[in-house]
This record gives sequence, structure tokens and C-alpha cells, in this order.
Amino acid sequence: MKLLFLLKEGFAGFRRARLAVTITLATITLALALLGLFGLVAQNLSDSFQRVFYQIRLEVFVDPSLGESDFQTLKSEIEGIEAVQSAEYISPRAALQEFEKDFGKDLVAVLESNPLPPSFRVMLKTGRSRPEAIQAVVRRIEALKAVDEVVYPENLIRLLDKYFLLGIVIAAGLGAAIFIISTLLIFNTIRLAIHSRQRVIEIMRLVGATDAFIKAPFIFEGVLQGMIGGLLAAGLLWLAGDLVRYLFLPGLAVPWLYLAGLVITGILLGFIGSYLSVGKYLNT
Amino acid sequence: MIELFNVSVKIDNRPVLNDISLQITKGEFVYLIGKTGAGKTTLMRLIYMDLFPAKGNVIVDRYSSSTIRRKEIPFLRRRVGVVFQDFKLLPDRTVFDNVAFALQVIGAPKRTIRARALSALSRVGLNHKRYQMPHHLSGGEQQRAAIARALVNEPFILLADEPTGNLDPQVSTEILALLESINRSGTAVLMATHNYGLIRQFPHRTLLVENGKITAGEAP
Ligand SMILES: Nc1ncnc2c1ncn2[C@@H]1O[C@H](COP(=O)(O)OP(=O)(O)OP(=O)(O)O)[C@@H](O)[C@H]1O
Ligand SMILES: [Mg+2]
Repeated sequence: MKLLFLLKEGFAGFRRARLAVTITLATITLALALLGLFGLVAQNLSDSFQRVFYQIRLEVFVDPSLGESDFQTLKSEIEGIEAVQSAEYISPRAALQEFEKDFGKDLVAVLESNPLPPSFRVMLKTGRSRPEAIQAVVRRIEALKAVDEVVYPENLIRLLDKYFLLGIVIAAGLGAAIFIISTLLIFNTIRLAIHSRQRVIEIMRLVGATDAFIKAPFIFEGVLQGMIGGLLAAGLLWLAGDLVRYLFLPGLAVPWLYLAGLVITGILLGFIGSYLSVGKYLNT
Repeated sequence: MIELFNVSVKIDNRPVLNDISLQITKGEFVYLIGKTGAGKTTLMRLIYMDLFPAKGNVIVDRYSSSTIRRKEIPFLRRRVGVVFQDFKLLPDRTVFDNVAFALQVIGAPKRTIRARALSALSRVGLNHKRYQMPHHLSGGEQQRAAIARALVNEPFILLADEPTGNLDPQVSTEILALLESINRSGTAVLMATHNYGLIRQFPHRTLLVENGKITAGEAP
């Protein structure tokens, strides 16, 4: 097989049908970007979801009149509860500093004294805990002598627990739908692009080119388009991620693996799409 | 060279050719006449095995329609040149590239491609226009380019399906003269035509396709 000719034909195809190639590339890019966008949103949602749901944090406010050694005892008492991972003492000053970070100096400046009580930040052991189990732990902590109040996102946890399965089903369904739509979109544009070159295929068959020789340039083109589309989509997502992170979501993650996955998906879809499409013109 | 044994063809379950037998020997020039829809194109497709008979057997060179494998068909096609009424040139490349294309896609070595394409172009008298795009050529010149492409693999037979159908009488005569010269150098020619004037001008064995049968015919 003459590799050089195939590569030249593949690239020449790009040059000869600039508009068609641009449209194909744009479609592949958008379809992959859509797919990637969904993946990113799902990933980030599930990350923050897991942070709330799997790593439950309780704020345990305690009696301010306790002394240093009482805090130590209390800490070991809390940590003695089975479901508790760790308990970290937060002094009123540390709490105020955090408050300042969240709400600004001005608000703190108007305060005459530090109104924040000492507290413990209690992490429960990771894993999916049912609201009832969490409540049981909260009751045990509340029952400790020096504890005033335990605060945690109870309603949110109940809500998430209730819609946990439903959420997974909806996300999976939506993901599958977007994947199918993207795939069909990509296959269809590739099919149209190849359809517009029926005459070339017809003549190749007429003058005695083998099936493999006819397929190769089209498949090469499909793979190239899939790869370029994947790279463009990855670039778009990366830029968008940067922008979103800068504007309002500093914690947004755009993992490299995701972007690489998009490129690989593009290559695979380009390969399969062109393979199937050109095959159709060979089996008549 | 080419032999048909009791060949029947059905298209969409409708019989088109019915139990025909036929022989075209090496280097022959044969006309195919018959009304529109009679089956002339169908017969040519049988020969380059774009179509297979429902019954009977088509022998072309060393290939037989009943035993040829799918993979072998490209190699048969390299031995059979085909030209059509509408030329079927690729509009996006020069005449030279159109001719060279037939060699490139069968993986011919680069050095021989240039030499053989140039030689085919000079056989059809189109060397001086080799870097033109097809749409800059007259109809007759486009058909010459198509003939050069069909010849570049040195086929033993040239199938010409109404090659002058789109050309004026003067140019048609020139194309026929070209086909005759190609035939004189040893390539068989099978040409379907409705142009009886040409047959009278360049007389050769003539076959009439009618009612699914092929008989020895004569230009009326
Ligand atoms: N692709 C097809 N689909 C359906 N019918 C077809 C097809 N090709 C040919 N036929 C039928 O087969 C018959 C023979 O057609 P063919 O093209 O061989 O005729 P022809 O002699 O070449 O006619 P013409 O002089 O118009 O070129 C016709 O009746 C035609 O309707
Ligand atoms: Mg016809």
C-alpha cells in the first residue's frame, strides 16, 4: 500500500473541500464539546455532592467557659464515638479569622468583641451515611456535658439521600442521550462528507482500486478530523473552565484525563464513522 | 477473451437479458445497438462484473463470474477499460492527475505513473492540455481524457457506453477514429451506440440487443 499517496489524498481532501471540512470539523468539535461539557458538569457536581454526602462535617459548639484541659478531654470523648473520623478544635480567634475571610474585614470591624464560641470541627468517617445514622451520632455528641449545639446541613443531607438514586439515573440517562446524539451527529456529518465524494469512490472502483485502498484515505481523514475536533473541543473546554474558575467557581476542576478522553473519543468516532460510511459505498 | 454462456439477468426481479450466449475475441471491434432500456449497459456491467448473472456464466480474461471472489474484482477491472457518455472525470484535478489517478489508486510506483500517464495522454492527442482542468476542455477533449484514463492500465478491452452520446457529429467521428486506432494497436473495443451513421462510416461487427436477446444486427 502506498502510504504516501494515501496521506496525500487524505490531506488533499481537506484542501479540495474546505467548506465541507470546516462544517464537519465544527460539528465534531461542538458535539465533542457538548459531551465533554456534560462530563465536566457531572464530574464537578458529583465531586461537590460527595463532599457533602460522603464527608459529613459537623460544627460542634461548646461552652466558652471551659478550660484548655477540658477541650482535650472533650476531643477524645468525641473521637471515641465510633463513626467519628476526627475532631479539630477551633478557637474563637481562629473562627473569627475564618469569618473574616468569608465575609470581609469591614463586618468584623463593627464588632466590639468576638461573639464566636469555641467549637470542634468533627469529620465523620467517609462513606455514604444515612440521615438516621448521622442523627444518632449528633445526638450522642449533643449528650456530652460541655456541648451547646451541633450544627450540620441536615436538610440538604435528607434531600440528597432522597434523590440519590434518581440523580444517578437521570445523570446516566442524560449522559447516554448526549453521547448518542453526539455520535449520530458526528457519524452523519462524516457520512455526508463521504457522500459528496461518491464520484471519487465510483471511479476508484471502476479503475480497479482494492477496497482497502479506497477506504484508507477516507478513514485517515475521519481519524484526522476526529482528532482535530477532539483537540479543539478540549481546548474550548479548557478555556471555558479557566474562565468559569476565574469568574465564579475557583474550585472547578478540568482534569487532563478528561481532555485526553475527548481527543480519544474524537479519534474513535472519526474512525468508526468513516469506516462504516465508506463501507456502504463499497457494498453495492 | 470474453464469453457469455446462457446468461440471464434480472434487475428488480424483471428479466433484462434472457439466456444469451456471446463471444468477443481478442482485438475485435464490436458495436452494441438496441433501443433505450434494451440492456446494452447491462451487458457491459456484466463484463466488468458490476453485475452478476442470475443464470449462466460470464468469462472475462481468466476470470469467471461464477467463481470470482470479491477480492479479485479490482484486478479484473484493471484489465478492462470503461468510458461513458458523461466522461466521469474528477472536476477537482487536472487532466494529467485524472489519468494518473487510475494508476495511483492501484498502488503503481511513482516513476511509472508519470511515464504511463504521459504516454496514454499522447495516444489520445491530449498532451498539450494535460495541465488543464476538465471543465476547461471541450466535450471531445474530455472524452479523450476519459479514454486515456481507461487505457492507462493497458486493458485488453475497452468498453465504451455511448461515448459519443454528448458530442456533435464532427467530434463523434474523431472519437471513433481514435477508438479505431486504439483497436488497431490490439485492444478490443465494445461500443454501445445509437448513432448508426457512425457504424456505417466505421463498419464493424454489430450486435443487436432486443427483447432480452442478442442477435447479429445491422445498422438500419
Ligand atoms: N439501477 C437500475 N434499477 C432499476 N432498473 C434498472 C437499473 N438499471 C437498469 N435497469 C433496467 O434494466 C433495463 C436495461 O437497462 P440498460 O441500462 O441496460 O439499457 P440500455 O440498453 O443501456 O439503455 P440506454 O440506451 O438508454 O442506455 C431497463 O429496462 C432498465 O429500466
Ligand atoms: Mg445504457
